[in-house]
Amino acid sequence: MGRRVAIVGVGLTKCSSHRRDVTYPELIHEAVSNALADADIGFEQIDAVVYGSMDPFDGVFAPERWNVDACVSAGFLTKPFMKITTGGTTGGSTALGGYYHVGSGMFDVVLAVASQRVGETLEAQLVLNTAIDPIYERWIGGGAITVAANQAVHHFHYYGTTEEDLAMVAAKNYANALNNPYAHLQRHLTVEDALRSRMISWPLRLSDCCPSSDGACAIILASEERARKLTKTPAWVRGAGQITDNYNVGDRLWFHDWDSLAMLARRVYKQAKITDPMAEIDVAEPYVAFTVQEIMEYEALGFAEPGRGVELIRKGVTAMDGKLPVCPSGGTLCTNPIGATGLIRVAEAALQVMGKADKRQVPNVKTALAHSWGAAIGFHTMMILDKEAP
Amino acid sequence: MTQEEEILIMPGAWNLPFRHTAGRFASRFFRELRDNQKIYGVRCPRCRRVLVPPRPLCERCFASPDEWVEVSHQGTLGAFTICYVPFMGLPPPPVAMIMVVLDGADTGLQHLLGGVDLSDPEKSRDLVKIGMRVEAVWREQRRGEIMDIQHFKPI
Amino acid sequence: MARRVAIVGVGQTLHEEFKDQCIYWENDYEATKLALEDAALDKGQIDTVIASGWDAVDGRTISDMHTCMAIGGYLKDSSHVGEDGIMALAYAYLRIASGQFDTVVVAGHGHREASLDRVSSVVFDPLFARPVGANHITTLAMQANAYAQRYGVGQEAAAKVVVKNRANGARNPYAHLQTPVTLEEVQGSGWVAYPLHALDCPPESVGGVALILAAEENVKRITSKPVWIKGISWAIESYYLGAKDLSQMPSLAAAAQRAYRMAGIVRPLEELDVAEIHEPTSFHELMAYEALGLAEAGQGNRLVEEGLTEREGKLPVNLSGGCLSTNLLGASGLARAAEAVLQLRGEAHGRQAAGAKLALAHGFSALSGAAAPTNCVVILERG
Repeated sequence: MGRRVAIVGVGLTKCSSHRRDVTYPELIHEAVSNALADADIGFEQIDAVVYGSMDPFDGVFAPERWNVDACVSAGFLTKPFMKITTGGTTGGSTALGGYYHVGSGMFDVVLAVASQRVGETLEAQLVLNTAIDPIYERWIGGGAITVAANQAVHHFHYYGTTEEDLAMVAAKNYANALNNPYAHLQRHLTVEDALRSRMISWPLRLSDCCPSSDGACAIILASEERARKLTKTPAWVRGAGQITDNYNVGDRLWFHDWDSLAMLARRVYKQAKITDPMAEIDVAEPYVAFTVQEIMEYEALGFAEPGRGVELIRKGVTAMDGKLPVCPSGGTLCTNPIGATGLIRVAEAALQVMGKADKRQVPNVKTALAHSWGAAIGFHTMMILDKEAP
Repeated sequence: MTQEEEILIMPGAWNLPFRHTAGRFASRFFRELRDNQKIYGVRCPRCRRVLVPPRPLCERCFASPDEWVEVSHQGTLGAFTICYVPFMGLPPPPVAMIMVVLDGADTGLQHLLGGVDLSDPEKSRDLVKIGMRVEAVWREQRRGEIMDIQHFKPI
Repeated sequence: MARRVAIVGVGQTLHEEFKDQCIYWENDYEATKLALEDAALDKGQIDTVIASGWDAVDGRTISDMHTCMAIGGYLKDSSHVGEDGIMALAYAYLRIASGQFDTVVVAGHGHREASLDRVSSVVFDPLFARPVGANHITTLAMQANAYAQRYGVGQEAAAKVVVKNRANGARNPYAHLQTPVTLEEVQGSGWVAYPLHALDCPPESVGGVALILAAEENVKRITSKPVWIKGISWAIESYYLGAKDLSQMPSLAAAAQRAYRMAGIVRPLEELDVAEIHEPTSFHELMAYEALGLAEAGQGNRLVEEGLTEREGKLPVNLSGGCLSTNLLGASGLARAAEAVLQLRGEAHGRQAAGAKLALAHGFSALSGAAAPTNCVVILERG
């Protein structure tokens, strides 16, 4: 597997629809300071920085330029710094970037930062529309919500999933978010509330969709030698990877099965030597931007057979007191600063393994899974973190 | 909030014009829509899939498609959603965005559904279904763009 | 000692003014096909791909959805750097050195669908810099002016860089601009932003570049002409133009020092055989000589006056014609690396530096001009 790498510190920011109290560099500084404090180290110990954001939501293209001084203090400004951007998986790709920076042997302690200020955009969907190929598909107004709605239509049609199943996912995640001081949406939402919420793009209602959030996240990764010196509770990277599926949504009409994610999961489980994910994974933070995706992720990640993901939500298997809690943080459904979200999944998984997840801590976590998806539902990243070194 | 604490909000907008080339493949596809009211796909020489709309690369085979294949104006609905809130770039709601696999094609073409009354959400569940047959409805004055097909209607 | 990494394949398209028959990512595709052919590898033997470039330049967010596909990334582990392609090379190096991947494609492109000054203006913060007209060119011009004023470097010294690079470009069949220019033509080419004349600035070019990197154990099996990465480093610098000495390029100096140390280079002017420097303006090539330790502070122009960086000089710089002859916005740095590889392999027909064994390739990854550029330096050695 290569050089052992662990996450030794995590920094989150409070997310909201618009963090009016801070300019962009201040938001970054908040995340970075929190991570350095968590790892109990100073800037001078950081050997390199990896930065991710999904351009161009923030009203500033390539915001890492404006933000660089907030990531690295003045005396250390000529450090190696690399920008990674891969759509919705940006945060996950940034974590992977940090992992390979340390894994290469060139750097011992690396800061990975990801951010998004969707709150500075007046119409986020307008920006997302520019992801759609301007030659054929942009004129049809395709975007994230409509693609996810296609996933839901298919899952209903082929597997008999219902609107109530989606509402149960929403209710679970909203309840979890109440325990997460950094979450954006913090409100009580029952299944009935969810079923009454406004229909956006059939069958997805407002409660089935993630918000647009301002927020940032930073994690610190270290080599084995440094990790053991820095903390008693490192979160070791046991498996990591990415997969790239075709961007042409029309090529992948089997919307009900997330084949590319299933393929990635097989690869990463093999690397991590996981044979029974349901039994061996203690908590999961997959990227649930739309409720139906959580059910699809149960299936693609091997927690349930294809078409049987609904049983997990119906039986409470993925609730906080269930066998395999999913999205204890409330997940993407309650907090989505898009470019940062994938890194927040990794950060939340790390906090669970490190035993630092406060009120949202799942008891006895050894192994945690973090995932993100992006692009035309074609990109996926995955990381498996563990209390024990691989 | 006192005057000393007032946070100012600065407006901003990007006005970034682009000139996007349609390239060889899309240009021919659009010219055929405009001039001959025909819909074409291209076939990958290795996997033999007919890709609609045409594109310069079959990413699975990493090969350039070289054979132009005319496909039908009729096809099957592979996926859809019905939007109830206004989205930039879409006609006012309610509007159905669809993926149609034209007869002869191996991939779905993203487009809009027309000729269906979507005003009653409950009734719409019966009117729009995966697997239903649809046909292209053409615009009177065609310009060489995807909206030369105005929408697809059920048949 | 980390696993050694070599470049085993290189491909580039001809670079032109317009290529409207191609979607922008077809440039990446063509270059990748050429690189795979060059290495006699097929897509199935590639483990991972790293794409590069800027979404705002491509006019599409998540542009890597397309570019990763175009460079063979389908169903593979891929990533994308929001940087010049030379940073994709850096990331690929890390992925191979980590032991988790063996063979990597990196690629980049330039295309002309956007206006550079408009796109680059939105990189600047909307509070202070953007409203007063900061963009890539205006900030580079301010920097060039600061340098020129501080050290008394005249227009003519910078114009001589243009003459040198354009003469070199005329011998490079891949270059966009293939006509030499005279000093008079440079200085008569009209002002863009003082002290930059139009010809002190790079053109906008369309084309693609791709490289294939491989891990040491596999290199011999793939090629008899490997080019080893002996040293590599990169660095960024502060965003705040008003809080730094604009006459310097500290991020380039830091990257160079670390790359030289890794490669065991102590006297670069003597030890390097050829250099490919990414010059975002003619003045910046002079500044780069100093940051790279080839000349003392303020003395960069002496290398040009004394012909040291000419084609037949002690250390020829930009035999490819440099960015002033071909500017792929998003891959000019990667193009410098590609040329360095060709020089070391003895395949730079018509512009070959005789017996080149050790080369430097530099990329200036920025849309933000003098504000927070990333500079990457790679030391390459003939295997």
